[in-house]
Amino acid sequence: MMRGLVSWMASAGVGFWRACVVFGVSMLAPAVWAAAVGIWFWWWGGGPWSWIAPLVWAVLGTLALVRPVCRITRHLVARWTGTVLPGGYRQPGPVTQLSTGYWWNGYSYSRTSREAKQDQAMRIRWRDPANWRDLRFTGIAVFAIGVPAALPLAGIACAVLGFAVLSPIIGALGVVVALASAPYAWRPLGPVAGRFLRASPAMAMADRVTELTAQRADTTVAQAAEIRRIERDLHDGAQARLVALGMSLATAEKLMETDPERAKAMLRDARTGAATSLSELRELIKGINPPLLNERGLLDAVRAFALDSPLEVTVSGNLDRRLDPPIESALYFGIAELVTNAVKHAAATLVEVSLVRDDTGVIAEVTDDGRGGATMREGGGLARLRRRLAVFDGSCEITSPEGGPTRVRMVLPCASS
Amino acid sequence: MRIVVAEDLYLLRDGMVRLIEAYGHEVVATAGTGPETLQTLLTHRPDVAVVDVRMPPDQSDEGLRAALAARRARPGLPVLILSQHVEQLYARELLADGAGGIGYFLKESVFEAEQFIDALERVAGGGTAMDPEVIAKLLASGSTDRRIERLTEREHSVLALMAEGLSNQAIGKRLFLSDSAISKYTTALFGRLGITDDDDNNRRVLAVLAYLNKA
Repeated sequence: MMRGLVSWMASAGVGFWRACVVFGVSMLAPAVWAAAVGIWFWWWGGGPWSWIAPLVWAVLGTLALVRPVCRITRHLVARWTGTVLPGGYRQPGPVTQLSTGYWWNGYSYSRTSREAKQDQAMRIRWRDPANWRDLRFTGIAVFAIGVPAALPLAGIACAVLGFAVLSPIIGALGVVVALASAPYAWRPLGPVAGRFLRASPAMAMADRVTELTAQRADTTVAQAAEIRRIERDLHDGAQARLVALGMSLATAEKLMETDPERAKAMLRDARTGAATSLSELRELIKGINPPLLNERGLLDAVRAFALDSPLEVTVSGNLDRRLDPPIESALYFGIAELVTNAVKHAAATLVEVSLVRDDTGVIAEVTDDGRGGATMREGGGLARLRRRLAVFDGSCEITSPEGGPTRVRMVLPCASS
Repeated sequence: MRIVVAEDLYLLRDGMVRLIEAYGHEVVATAGTGPETLQTLLTHRPDVAVVDVRMPPDQSDEGLRAALAARRARPGLPVLILSQHVEQLYARELLADGAGGIGYFLKESVFEAEQFIDALERVAGGGTAMDPEVIAKLLASGSTDRRIERLTEREHSVLALMAEGLSNQAIGKRLFLSDSAISKYTTALFGRLGITDDDDNNRRVLAVLAYLNKA
């Protein structure tokens, strides 16, 4: 009983303190507005334009206060409820010097890097769609957060006034209101901030556009590199061999009458050359798009890969329908990379691959019994894999404690039509 | 022999027909799509069929599926599958019915015309012939049947050549051994693999199957 009372008093105390803080923060903007109204009354009758100064004061004050108020609110929410609300403010991009000597900050040119940075900061500050959200929140906070948080304070004020001036009944009522509301008065902060301080659709959209632009650039670069590799392979491999083949045949044709034995030897060489260039082409094609992927789909292609692997690889799955070709290809090369890693780096003896499809997407899991310790390094194979999956809004999680086992889970969303 | 050729690319089909005819065999029909292949195989009843894996209408594994369907309708119908790539997966599916009469080769195996015709005759006779690349992939891959591990190195290489579809005589030539030595090895390895069948062709098929079948 006693302990319950103590803990209740403690929570009431904490609640009262929090309510005071919340009230103070949410009433900062109204305080500025109230001051504006005060100034206006002060100058009442000072002329037909006496309202201008208070208005300017209110506008400037609000604009200056909006972001700090939101920052403090976010900080309080994180501290008291553990919910982290991302600010979602625009981040400055790199400021680079161009060959002309001018500095480019993503918006305009400047003579010095200082100017460029200042200009960028201003533009980012005032063009940020987050400003509108913050402004809206500051307005809403007054009523949705400030008013409830004012209850305990109002109770105390009531109690003081009641006992001192009016009547003890009003004073007692004030005490009851203050005590009863203290533990709860600050609590609207969490849900209200969660609802109105999150990234707005426009901001989410802007973030998405940035992300997609980066991905598109990535993909284009990767694609160009891939095409160059294919071109080089064809140029140095099959193409050169076919030229040699043609020359052998031409020589053999010439030698046919004068030296049939040598002609025969040349023809044999030509045949060997043709066979070699075919096997090179086969390898190349396998690297671009494994034929089995086209003929049988992902599951069988992975099974075939497992059969050819020097490890014991078990494959299980329930893909009864074909996936989109780009998704099949991304997952196939992802799995192939992981199995190859298990062979090359993890010294594994057993690999398990599972491919499962549910209503929302495909989940591919690759587990090996190797020595673990795999990490996602920038520029490494796993980072490349993650980037490849990100193009499809897929994700890739790795758990690989030192000593193994390594488990990689790739998830790709796809329609369940 | 009466042979059916199923291949969608005109140049390759034409070349194949001329090659086969140059060796004195008869091409009774050709097919260019999956459904056409199945129908031709069932109506013409050839001694052996040469079938491409990838064919219209879907450009997927139509040819292979047509061949498997034809063999379900007529068990043991000899089929030699040609492809631009060979896969253990397909080899197993082809051999799964255990009826023999299966060949599986890369298209360029045709370059060795004599060996190719030889393999064709072997398949027509109910034997099994696999491309060396299939065998190489098998040897490189992880787990093989426990029984296979009991073989000596020499028996291993004899079995690999047998899987390629070579006769005892040809195997002897490759390994520089006499016919009788080879037949001693084959008897020994049949024993080790626990194959007791008397028919030599069938025993060879079973041995290759054991070779291809991982646990």
